[in-house]
Amino acid sequence: MLWLYLDFPNLQLDALLAQVQGEKMPPLVILDQRSHNIVQVSAKARAVGINLNMGLGTAAALAQDLQVVPYEPKINDNKLQEIAEILYLSTSDISFFAPQGLLLRINHMLRLYGDLANYWQVIKNQLAPLKLTYHYATGHSPLAAKILAKKKWDTISDDLRLLHHNISQCQLYETDISPKTQQQLTRVGVRTIQDLFAISFADMAKRFDIGLVNYLGRLSAEFKHPIEFYHPPEIFKRYMELLFDIDNSQFLHRPLGHLLQALEQFLKLRDRLTQTLIILFYQREHEPIEWTIGSQQGEYLASRWQALIKIKLEQLRLDSAVYAINLTTGQTQIRSPDKGDLFSAKQGTLSRLQLVSLLQAKLGEKAVMSPIVNDDYRPEHAANYAPPVLLDESNHNVSHILQAMRPSFLLTPPQPLREKVSIVHGPERLNTGWWDNRTVVRDYYIARNQQGQWYWVFKEQDAVWYLHGVFS
Amino acid sequence: MNPILEHLKNKNLLWQANHTSQIAYANSTGFSELDQQLQGGFPQNGVIDIESPIGIGELRLLLPDLLTRQQSGDRLLVFIAPPMLLNSEMLAEFGFELHRVLILKTISSAQSLWCAEQCLASGCCYSVVLWQHDIAINQVKRLHLAADKGDALITMLRQQKTVQTALPVSLALRLRAQPQGLHVEVTKRKGAWPSSAFTVDMSNKWPELNCQSIAENVVQFPNRHSQIA
Repeated sequence: MLWLYLDFPNLQLDALLAQVQGEKMPPLVILDQRSHNIVQVSAKARAVGINLNMGLGTAAALAQDLQVVPYEPKINDNKLQEIAEILYLSTSDISFFAPQGLLLRINHMLRLYGDLANYWQVIKNQLAPLKLTYHYATGHSPLAAKILAKKKWDTISDDLRLLHHNISQCQLYETDISPKTQQQLTRVGVRTIQDLFAISFADMAKRFDIGLVNYLGRLSAEFKHPIEFYHPPEIFKRYMELLFDIDNSQFLHRPLGHLLQALEQFLKLRDRLTQTLIILFYQREHEPIEWTIGSQQGEYLASRWQALIKIKLEQLRLDSAVYAINLTTGQTQIRSPDKGDLFSAKQGTLSRLQLVSLLQAKLGEKAVMSPIVNDDYRPEHAANYAPPVLLDESNHNVSHILQAMRPSFLLTPPQPLREKVSIVHGPERLNTGWWDNRTVVRDYYIARNQQGQWYWVFKEQDAVWYLHGVFS
Repeated sequence: MNPILEHLKNKNLLWQANHTSQIAYANSTGFSELDQQLQGGFPQNGVIDIESPIGIGELRLLLPDLLTRQQSGDRLLVFIAPPMLLNSEMLAEFGFELHRVLILKTISSAQSLWCAEQCLASGCCYSVVLWQHDIAINQVKRLHLAADKGDALITMLRQQKTVQTALPVSLALRLRAQPQGLHVEVTKRKGAWPSSAFTVDMSNKWPELNCQSIAENVVQFPNRHSQIA
């Protein structure tokens, strides 16, 4: 068995800096709030002399414009998840070593990639666009790889003798042995792994706790080390902490763009589409805003979603600054290829469903309608609107008898007639609706006024005249 | 020919008056007088500006053309910001497939124009009918580009034109009410000379919406009644 361990010491920092590529940034450090020690240091901060485990006071004295961000385990975990997702594209067995390590089982993958150098090149290429700081090492057991990676050995090798040699040179403090046991071992003169391996397991079990024996057994790959491997999630879900609080909703489209790019990659690789995105904007002093963005046609392209989101952002009102965004997809579906006509003269840029989604995003769902006709004699009940159903055409065939001579426009509700008109055509009597308490007894006439406008007027039983429609 | 002129002509840097692009007016409007005056019918794509009061038959002038276009493809017809409730019974009765009709309610004229542009450029709408009061020259140009891109026709229906310079539309009509139909004046037409005003007879298509001309020696009944009283 051959294992590769990747150690990411600056995960939170890298996650933050990924948002501001190529921009000028002050020195940045991540501070553990419990111990008040600096745990992650940006390159700029390192340049002015700030080191790990330095106190905040010393660091602030070294750099005036120092920016300090509290350590958030959640961001670390999310970022690690993201890396695993990306690495999964080229290697199958990935396991998490919280808080900042990933373990890959290599020997199965070597058949696919030929040799170790080739495999490592592929992994390196996958990691390159993320711009992460990382250390790596191979080992004959998971723990061996971990120790060497933590030591920043940064070597890829399948030479067992070399691996064994390097492991045996390691000092006790570089291992995960508990400090108490380490102290006991030091007292009896054991300082390196080599010294430990010189003792037989049976003797060791007599004098030290069983944890040490297990550890050494796993380190030397004599004991089985149970590893739980990573399975990629079914739906896309990503949380992003913003580098700066954003209180202008127009500036939100850039961080959202990063998330949408990740979404696009996620869906593209699975050949899936989604119709809804759920976006949560975490506000500094108010409840998070939840947004559901729908697209009638399933989409995966970031640019398409960005167009819809841009329209929605114009309407977003923030109560206080946004510090984080969460993006989740709703149901996903398998992509089926578009069956467009290759030979039709003009190729539109949007499909019908995309257009409807676009209009709905701008105007709201209730403002985009399709007309329907109900089976009713009363004009105000017959004419109705419904949300556009553009796929199922069978529902929309008007089966019942249509009345002749109906106006193009209806007044809702009918207005009393206040003009002098001359009747041209009529009457047409409607006496209906007795079954639902909205009885209509009307005589309809077509009339023309002095300006030549064609009106649809009716007279009720009490001889009151109303204007109900206009023949446009 | 002058060699410089010829050189410029070959490089397509010189414009000559006989180069005006021929606009296809191939779609019959359904009214013989209008077809004759427009030499074929409404343009295939572009912007039509119609100035007309509401309710004299301005929409009925467009309906036959909109219907033939709907039947010849499977694209959408969009009505943007109609001034009242557009009656779906009328559309169905006239023969439109209602599921291929969209009606958009907008809250501002800027929103209407945005929707019109999106619909035109999308390529999935064959025609847009827009009720709009004011429009600027640059907005018309944008609509033109969008209409060309999506191979669509937009008709703007406007009530009273405010004092304005000529808009770069493909066709502009001014309509007046007439007892038998409409009095049409072509105020602008791209690639053609202006013509005199004419009457479009709609009484064949809508016999009910038609005032019979009354002989002079016939007195209408209510009038006689009032005379006696």
